[in-house]
Amino acid sequence: MSDPSEALASAKATADRLVKAKRLNACLTPVGELRKALVTQAQAAHPSGVLYGMPVAVKDNICTLEFTTTCGSKILESYRSPYEATAVAKLKAAGALIAGKTNCDEFAMGSSTEHSAYGRTLHPFDKTRVPGGSSGGSAALVAAGAVPAALGSETGGSVRQPASLCGVVGIKPTYGRVSRWGLVAFGSSLDQIGVLGRSVHDAARVLSVISGRDPKDSTCEERDPLRLPNVPESLQGFVIGIPREYFPADLDPAVRRACDRAVRLCKELGAAVREVALPHTAYAVPTYYILAPAEASSNLARYDGARYGPRFDGSADVRALYRTTRGEGFGPEVRRRILLGTYVLSSGYYDAYYRKAQQMRALIAQDFRNAFDRGVDLLFTPTTPSPAFKAGEKLDDPVAMYLSDIFTVTANLAGLPAISLPIGRVKGLPLGGQFIGQAFLEDEMLEAAYALERVVPATEEA
Amino acid sequence: MAAPASWETVIGLETHVQLRTASKMFCGCSAAFGAPPNTNVCPVCLGLPGALPMANGLALQLAVRAALALGCTVHSRSVFARKNYFYPDLPKGYQISQFEQPLATEGSLSYLSPDRGIATATIQRLHVEEDAGKSLHDRFPKHTAIDLNRCGVPLVEIVTGPDFRSPQEARAYLLTLKQVLEYAAVSDCDMEKGSLRVDANVSVRRVGRPELGTKTEVKNINSFAYVEKALTVEHDRQIALLEGGGTVEQQTLLYDAKTNSVRPQRAKEASHDYRYFPDPDLPPLVLREEFIAEQQALLPELPAKKRERFVEKYALSVTDAAVLTADRSVADYYEAVVHAGADAKAAANWVMTEVLADAKDHADGLRVPAGALANLIGLVRGGTLSHQAAKRVFGEVADHGGEPRNVAEALGLIQVADTGVVTGWVSEVLVSHPTEVARYRSGETKLLQFFLGQVMKLSRGKADPKLAQRVLEEKLVA
Amino acid sequence: MSVTHDEVLKIARLAELDVSEEALPLLAEQMSRILEYVAQINAVPASEGVKPFVPGPDALRFRADEVKPIPLAFGPEALAPAFKDGFFLVPKLGAFEGADS
Repeated sequence: MSDPSEALASAKATADRLVKAKRLNACLTPVGELRKALVTQAQAAHPSGVLYGMPVAVKDNICTLEFTTTCGSKILESYRSPYEATAVAKLKAAGALIAGKTNCDEFAMGSSTEHSAYGRTLHPFDKTRVPGGSSGGSAALVAAGAVPAALGSETGGSVRQPASLCGVVGIKPTYGRVSRWGLVAFGSSLDQIGVLGRSVHDAARVLSVISGRDPKDSTCEERDPLRLPNVPESLQGFVIGIPREYFPADLDPAVRRACDRAVRLCKELGAAVREVALPHTAYAVPTYYILAPAEASSNLARYDGARYGPRFDGSADVRALYRTTRGEGFGPEVRRRILLGTYVLSSGYYDAYYRKAQQMRALIAQDFRNAFDRGVDLLFTPTTPSPAFKAGEKLDDPVAMYLSDIFTVTANLAGLPAISLPIGRVKGLPLGGQFIGQAFLEDEMLEAAYALERVVPATEEA
Repeated sequence: MAAPASWETVIGLETHVQLRTASKMFCGCSAAFGAPPNTNVCPVCLGLPGALPMANGLALQLAVRAALALGCTVHSRSVFARKNYFYPDLPKGYQISQFEQPLATEGSLSYLSPDRGIATATIQRLHVEEDAGKSLHDRFPKHTAIDLNRCGVPLVEIVTGPDFRSPQEARAYLLTLKQVLEYAAVSDCDMEKGSLRVDANVSVRRVGRPELGTKTEVKNINSFAYVEKALTVEHDRQIALLEGGGTVEQQTLLYDAKTNSVRPQRAKEASHDYRYFPDPDLPPLVLREEFIAEQQALLPELPAKKRERFVEKYALSVTDAAVLTADRSVADYYEAVVHAGADAKAAANWVMTEVLADAKDHADGLRVPAGALANLIGLVRGGTLSHQAAKRVFGEVADHGGEPRNVAEALGLIQVADTGVVTGWVSEVLVSHPTEVARYRSGETKLLQFFLGQVMKLSRGKADPKLAQRVLEEKLVA
Repeated sequence: MSVTHDEVLKIARLAELDVSEEALPLLAEQMSRILEYVAQINAVPASEGVKPFVPGPDALRFRADEVKPIPLAFGPEALAPAFKDGFFLVPKLGAFEGADS
């Protein structure tokens, strides 16, 4: 697309599609505002940009000048950011249209998009089920065909898990590949902006645009933007590792069948497949649920009603302001994690929890290095232990909810890139498989995903 | 009041020093003092959602220089940590500081103790952190007003061991610390602007006891004048408590200069659990050896070294050398005067008296160029100007500039060394004071000064005093 | 790992979060379960030699000392719930000072 009239048409068509997808409660931006903003952006967009006219929805924990940035929380109700995220600025510079803000679990804490102050997002295939989370709004909009791609964010699988559950592609880049400037922090050492797309290519080209150095983020690496690989003819020369810890005896047989089929296809494409061990995998979720809440408890301290956001009474004194604003402004899951994080950092518990978890993280990262050092290029695993679950099913059981991240948190802990792509259906519900790559070798990971995507019967029962 | 003989005071100091940078520690906002409230703010120092810190390289260079000036070991790897607590002038709900792995440790600073002579304070650690904003409690009746201009300004915190034995020692250390940091040009150390702030840990114990007593922390000491007062108030309070059979409670106290008393800070703050952990937004601070060496090379000669050299090189007394090296610009000025050809001792006297007195009265500092002062000293030494006349010339040059010789000529202050002229003045004086001449001749020789004074008066200060004295002695003996 | 109601309240105070009486029992029970679950990492023997893993660049990058603030599309007065004469306003700290314990 390079013609201004085409961009305008795209803007209008996107607005229409978003209206149709309204029932999913995936987009938080009112449609009237969205339609106007899309048209304005289409008129202002640079026709020479590589994403000219492409609508990209943005998760509501990424700062935009165009719309509110609420993080799915009451504590940021109606909050407008006076600056925008680097990723958003890069998208706009490339001619993309910011197609509204997507619903998410509050502050990205959750795996079902049920923990949003603005209501849950419905699974596009079955409204009684969840789309996954926390980037459930982004995943649902892409799955519903409203936008070709959307930004999400990952701390423990929040792009890949909803991608798997909604039957779309989700990429989490290497930590430091994409600037976090303007991504509202949850677990800073784990957070990365990721992309959800209809196809590997749609997701990859958006990732390529938002990647690269940024002086505003000290944790972003001094690297050029990701260069997109060509779609390979075969996977000749690739060594794919299958970590046995990701295929436990009690794994859902349908998930196993889907993965086995994907692995067989990789072999048929010429890849060598080898079993590997990642012995500390079992400790990944517990490690994650110490480190992420610890960082979150500190990252979320700034929401106190003093400088921005609404106040919830508490006029008596400053502390009453803090306690009522935070007590009423945060939902139950966020409150739980703040308390948990405060607990593990508090005096007397730091060593047993936080310090120990830091060591575990190092061991988990070392597991991956060992596998890659032994000649494995990529790992293949299921993305999620099951397809989309019923809304409400895990709401009262936090640990059960946390376990839906069991196959995804490891890549965040080790800072590695990973991609989830649809590999089949279970009783009509989509299911994803993931490649985990080596740090900053997204191109290899994308090649494998391109190749598998072409051959895998993604919409067939496993 | 000094501590009663049976008690010993033990004091340790934590000093916060603002680094001399144009911008803040973690963002590009101006670090300047005195802007209208909340105008030097951005997403980072407002603590907006999604904002991230970016470290100021100059601040880290200055911090390393400060550490080296205090003889610290600068660590090749240190870590920024978050200190978590809630306060309205702390926008992020945490302060970026350093905790388990500070920038530098194990330094020391020698200072002149009024009680013990040269004493050495240990510097336990020096770390980098960001400042908080400012809370104004009396601006509005029902609200506290918050100004975040200062929020994020770069600081180093310098922590000593419990090394001081009196409030006077603590003050002497602080003045020396200020001097060293000013020399190293890392800070302007202006307590009034808040660029140097002191908290003190104070305890008392019976003389001869090895173990430390329970300590309190005294905060809010915001002027050099209050350091001794605040610490004295607190050690008096502790001694009175203990002598009355009570115990000292570990707590944080605020010094109130108006009433010259201390009062406990809110209990809440004393029981803080700061939940320090490494800041995941900032990779480790890794300093290459060459970087540290560069900072070392950028350090000027420090006061102690300079003092020693002045004693050695210019044959000055330790006291004079201390006065001349108290301020780096004065020391540099003194050396420039000497290099311009002035006698070292005479130059020292001039700088310590006329120059410092003039600098005290004039904000524009050292007003007479070093070369001009050297010339002036030369004129006195060569007998062209009397010392009195030279002082007038100094004042004139300071106010209006000009070459000392020209100024002296214009003022008619050049000394007359012509024997004929001087003899004329002497004769006139002796003739008009016959009684004194008689008294002199009968043995009252100390009247020589009187005659000399009269000659100077008659000549309106122009007579060469040495020559006048010689002629007077000759004539009086005759 | 069982967390008492008092411990939850203490942590909640530290985190400046109101926790209602009714919410307390369930919260304490959930926190206990989560802490019990995450405590399984202690099954792995203490590994003192393990250096913590930090993703991202190995060393901090420095910014030049230039006054170049990141621009705000609108100022603090537009963000703040209470703002007067250039200041953010919060309820008086005086009451805060005297409050609890």
